[in-house]
Amino acid sequence: MVPSLSDEAMGVELEKSAVYGHKFSTVVPAEATGDAVTRELTNMDLIMKLHYLRAVYYFKQSEVVDGLAITDLKEPMFPWLNVYYPVTGRIRTEAGSRPLIKCNDCGLRIIEAKCSRTLEEWLSVEDSSRWRPLVPEKVLGPELHFSPLVYIQFTRFKCGGMAIGYSWAHLLGDAVSATNCINLWGKFLKGNPSLETLRLSNHQKKAESPAKHVKAPQKPVPVKQVKLAGECWQAPDTCKMATCSFKIAETDLKKMQGEKQNHVPPFAMISALIWKCLAKNGNDRESKSATICRNSTSLKSSDMLTNNLKASTITLDSSAANIDLLELATLILKHELDELESIDELIDRNSGKPDFVLYGANLTFIDMEGIDLYGLELKGQTPVQVDYNIDGIGDEGAVLVLQGRGRTDLTGSIQERTVMVTLPEDQINQLRGVLSSEFGIA
Amino acid sequence: MPAEPLPQFLSSVKLKYVKLGYQYVMNNMLTFLLIPVMVAIVLEALKLDPDELVALWRSLGFNALHTLCTVFLIIIIATAYFMSRPRPVYLVDYACFKPARNCRVPFATFLEHARLMPFFDEKSVRFQVRILERSGLGEETCLPPANHYIPPNSSMEAARAEAELVIFSAIDELIAKTGIKPKDVDILVVNCSLFSPTPSLSAMIVNKYKLRSNILSFNLSGMGCSAGLISVDLARDLLQAHPNSYALVVSTEIITPNYYAGNERAMLLPNCLFRMGAAAVLLSNRRRERGRAKYRLLHVVRTHKGADDRAYRCVYEEEDGDGNSGISLSKDLMAIAGEALRTNITTVGPLVLPATEQLRFLVSLVARRLGARGWKPYIPDFKKAFEHFCIHAGGRAVIDELQRSLGLSAANVEASRMALHRFGNTSSSSLWYELGYIEAKGRMRRGDRVWMIGFGSGFKCNSAVWRCLRTVNTPVDGPWSECIHRYPVHIPEVVKLL
Repeated sequence: MVPSLSDEAMGVELEKSAVYGHKFSTVVPAEATGDAVTRELTNMDLIMKLHYLRAVYYFKQSEVVDGLAITDLKEPMFPWLNVYYPVTGRIRTEAGSRPLIKCNDCGLRIIEAKCSRTLEEWLSVEDSSRWRPLVPEKVLGPELHFSPLVYIQFTRFKCGGMAIGYSWAHLLGDAVSATNCINLWGKFLKGNPSLETLRLSNHQKKAESPAKHVKAPQKPVPVKQVKLAGECWQAPDTCKMATCSFKIAETDLKKMQGEKQNHVPPFAMISALIWKCLAKNGNDRESKSATICRNSTSLKSSDMLTNNLKASTITLDSSAANIDLLELATLILKHELDELESIDELIDRNSGKPDFVLYGANLTFIDMEGIDLYGLELKGQTPVQVDYNIDGIGDEGAVLVLQGRGRTDLTGSIQERTVMVTLPEDQINQLRGVLSSEFGIA
Repeated sequence: MPAEPLPQFLSSVKLKYVKLGYQYVMNNMLTFLLIPVMVAIVLEALKLDPDELVALWRSLGFNALHTLCTVFLIIIIATAYFMSRPRPVYLVDYACFKPARNCRVPFATFLEHARLMPFFDEKSVRFQVRILERSGLGEETCLPPANHYIPPNSSMEAARAEAELVIFSAIDELIAKTGIKPKDVDILVVNCSLFSPTPSLSAMIVNKYKLRSNILSFNLSGMGCSAGLISVDLARDLLQAHPNSYALVVSTEIITPNYYAGNERAMLLPNCLFRMGAAAVLLSNRRRERGRAKYRLLHVVRTHKGADDRAYRCVYEEEDGDGNSGISLSKDLMAIAGEALRTNITTVGPLVLPATEQLRFLVSLVARRLGARGWKPYIPDFKKAFEHFCIHAGGRAVIDELQRSLGLSAANVEASRMALHRFGNTSSSSLWYELGYIEAKGRMRRGDRVWMIGFGSGFKCNSAVWRCLRTVNTPVDGPWSECIHRYPVHIPEVVKLL
């Protein structure tokens, strides 16, 4: 049964006031980074600057969680930030010059809050915006010099459970970097981890590259130029976006494929599924093209903080509604993703302008399966649930496919995927309708 | 032309040796007078035969009774003399609070918080930026965890937590260094100017360490940044009255309850400069401690200028127009500090200066009194009396002023400047951090004399003179152990922050 919109809206409002008693403080690296250390922003970083990653990790009440006071949670952050010192810096923009991060140890903002609900009650609400009150909605600006890049919110539920909200400015790094960063904090909380494998790249200004030899014609970069409204680094929202989420088990996906030999991986199946459903809505917003986005997990860059994304656009000849599900999925699977080297031509070397969005320039499907979301441990305890979302998505909307929490059932272990969809409001309800009626999901 | 500089050089060298020789003779005048006399007597005695000596003795007409009475008399006089001399006070060892890494406040964070506080206006924020740029503080100074909140959490619970953190940490380190058992502490003196709960901080220490029920405990509050030396003075007086005792002196300043939340410029300075710190010092008058004690207390001189209204009001805690309480520092603080120092050194000078310097000062004083023109007031050269100086790190201005008025070199005030850079103004414990710096640098040798100068509200200027009893070997375990290799650093006039 699809809940009506007004009930949903009311649900969100209730949840907002259930979180109260906010206290703000800051943590900094344990040792001084030094004078005049800066981190240059690559062209890829600048393309992503209007996007923000918001994650909420839910932890059940236990002795471990009860025993962690705020000082215990903050204490390991100081040596942790010694390693990740750029996340404590601040943006510096001189008029007419390229923005960069000044690593002045200014710090992360920490927020403590309480919730008048229990964790059970909270998680029982399948409302996709339930994570909103648990992680700060901040963006960079209007005073860029004083805007933290990362926020962490600790919310204690009435029962003793805890939610850790984690807001990350995408210009620092992609979701892989963000998750590795917070997971390292979990390791510091447990003890002293070994740090040999970690390395921060020296983001220096790229030298003037000599005239490139003519390559094969580059694919167009799937970004859209936007104009910022005001001082904040926030994409202007021309239409109201809403989110919804649902879980799909791998077994259900296998059933959809039938008896075919070649097994299509879940991400391609899910992307094809949603694309078809959206196309079936039959409104004038026919999405014949979509962008596929994947975080690069190639070993060549074991760099800790980097925006290493591959993306490219698929353009179909006819509407997605007309193509068979499996065919569409195979198309998506086989489509080669681009290294996005051509963005260098888009961004002015000196000013870092103009401003772009990547997610949502076209309907974007983001593969986040490889990200170790459940790897954040509080002294050995893993989260029961992780909500993940991206703010600043463009008008065409985006679909995130995340690893779900593995469960064991009577039949064996169940692997599932969590799908978070951000779309214009009217499209969300229609999508839900189609998904439940045709495929029996959500 | 090459011939000209050479004679100057030669003459200056000769003059230097003449001056040194003259100083040596004048400083040891008594010895020089006595030696010839004693040599003469011994020579005379040697010239006589042993028989003649015995005959001389007999002729004086002493018999056994006379001799015995004389001997007893001498013994009684000697005993009375030795008993009436003040007991020596030894500093067995001391320990400073080592700021934890989770208390660090870099400049950028301090300023961002100042901007985000709802009660500061634009001008106040800009003022604080300017102060911090010229303050001489570094990026590693520490504030208590309660001050990391926006706005700071100034509850009593947080203040007590800070007090427990700094004081217990310093005392634990002192116990580890000296091996003293808490039950052996006879006297406890605690000074903390701005935080005075009930029960007192000294009671908090008695409770935590289970000190004896007949302990003599004192808690000095409200006495400002010079209270550290006042506590030492009090402990010394108590050690005169109580033989074979240990005195534990704890100096600290608790920052948590004293954040100024208003916009008066004169009251914003403490926010920018004061940082967390504490020191615990173990003093004793036991003879057996002489073997392992680090220093011996020679003199404590206290000067109080409170009788002068200007001096009384120059560091004043009051409420501003909006009802926010804070400590107001007046504009003539430096001038008053200079005057207080001059009064103090008038008393310290005769106790410590060598005879040559005193003579020169006397001559200059007499000449000026008699009206002779052209005699400038002679400032004695204290570098001849002391090897090390610990000047209260109240701020860059205080150190500059003292360097100028005492004629000290940059090397003399290095300990003060570096302690200000690394730890900020830790109020009464700053002198101990500076002493720790000198030791950590391996400069403290046996026989060196140290001059500690503290300034504080009232207006007070207090001095203590210590002599080092044993050379302190590096590496020294203390608050400087991890960072001493980076010091000294060059501290620029203005650090550009934004």
